[in-house]
Amino acid sequence: MPASITRGQLFSRGAKSSAVLLVGGSVLGQFVDTAAASPLSTTDLAYARLLVGAELLASDFYSQGVAASNSGPVVDGYLHRALANEQEHYQSVAGILTGAGMTPAVSGDIDFSYPAGTFASQGSIVKFARQLEELLLGAYLGAIAGIQADALKAGLAQIAACEAQHASYFTAAGGSKAFKSSFPPPLTIDQASDALDAFTA
Amino acid sequence: MRFSRIISLLAVVALGAALTVAGAQANSSKTAAGLTIFAGSSMTTVLPEIDSGNTYSFGSSTTLATQIRNGAPADVLMSANTTVPASLYAAGVVEKPVNFIRNTLAIVVPKSNPAGIKSIYDLTKPGVEIDEAASTVPVGSYTVQVLNQMGINDAIQANVVSKETSDANVVAKVALGQVDAGFVYLSDYVIDPAQLRLIKVPAWAQPKITYAMAIVTKSPNQATAQAWMNKVLSPAGQAIFVKDGFLPIAAAVPTITRISPARAKVGGTVTLTGTNFTGTTSVTIKGVAAKFKVVSATKLTLTVPAKAKSGTITVTNPSGTATSKRLTIA
Repeated sequence: MPASITRGQLFSRGAKSSAVLLVGGSVLGQFVDTAAASPLSTTDLAYARLLVGAELLASDFYSQGVAASNSGPVVDGYLHRALANEQEHYQSVAGILTGAGMTPAVSGDIDFSYPAGTFASQGSIVKFARQLEELLLGAYLGAIAGIQADALKAGLAQIAACEAQHASYFTAAGGSKAFKSSFPPPLTIDQASDALDAFTA
Repeated sequence: MRFSRIISLLAVVALGAALTVAGAQANSSKTAAGLTIFAGSSMTTVLPEIDSGNTYSFGSSTTLATQIRNGAPADVLMSANTTVPASLYAAGVVEKPVNFIRNTLAIVVPKSNPAGIKSIYDLTKPGVEIDEAASTVPVGSYTVQVLNQMGINDAIQANVVSKETSDANVVAKVALGQVDAGFVYLSDYVIDPAQLRLIKVPAWAQPKITYAMAIVTKSPNQATAQAWMNKVLSPAGQAIFVKDGFLPIAAAVPTITRISPARAKVGGTVTLTGTNFTGTTSVTIKGVAAKFKVVSATKLTLTVPAKAKSGTITVTNPSGTATSKRLTIA
């Protein structure tokens, strides 16, 4: 889905488009419209850039996880699904920046690095996926708390819910309890930035 | 950083105050007769490594551009951004600029790190003393861009105690412990890290730092200047930049659209048509390396090697590999 897609283009795809696409698309449209309607604060734009970077990391990781071809069919299916989700999330949060007339980072702009052996086995992939999803969940929860434009919060919460589902699945797949905390902790922007930076070259 | 280099850099600072040419500060490195090259101060170490036979004048790219506009006898301008050469090109002062290298913004702190800086966000804490370049020079402009993108420019500017005319001056002050932190290029740290500690600027907030160079229109040494630019862009030239902490210009992935002839004998010549052949590092036929010659960005010739078997041809450059349709070895 191109970043510049409009709501009209999205809905014109008709009834064949899945409900998932429409829901994801409505978040994209909501973000673009909000950013275009009135100037966002520097804090909100900073959050958007951070989340774009986080989604690029997630897409890069799941792409490599799929390409490694060393997971069983069930985990492999979830890796593919998570990749698709993260790509849709990227388009949505990038829409905040494009709506504000700015250029979001793209995959070639950031070089990611992973701990040795991250893609060596299904177990190592699942372990990193859990760590990554907890980072993403914390970053989105922090953004919901810190972002000033109320119109962006609902969409960010939808994405956070999806990241929580990812975290839950990969935690269980790694042999731990699928969920534990009643209130998963948010990350401040500097905590999220530092955590993300650990995986950039 | 060796102490001698710090002294040298401070000498440059002092010299800068004394120079009056267009308000310029420049560090001239005269060697054997060759080209006169005006270059951003972040290239002070790397350019003489590529060719020590030129005369280099290092300083703020903005200031050097002003000198060239005023008639300074330069052959080539090498700027730490693309906007300065573009404006000179628009004014007819230089030929068409060529991008030649990239860089990354970084934070350096003294080796002892007295302020305990661990993250860029620590620079917003009260009492931290920061040095940065003025926003009129490229590194200062990139710094403000990053801080605005992170939403922390106001908080950090409140801690800025000094603004310099170049990254070299920032490095010198940090190395001597006169400030707690400074914004510089990554290459400034890589070249001489002895007295410094590196703090990363987050990748998600990094600006696109691209350097561009151009031949001065009035230069009487056009052919030699073009040869110099080719040398900078060559794999050997780029490797020296990369060693010193710069990033190579990302070449586009090659494509192959046509093979002629589609059937060839060992020792025969095959011509490939496509795109982005400049910078090709290897050519193979079904995995066997072949000798090749880049005729142009869209044309490449290869010689079918003795051990070649029928199969696809690959063309590889630093950005990726193109694969052709099958070549039949007769």
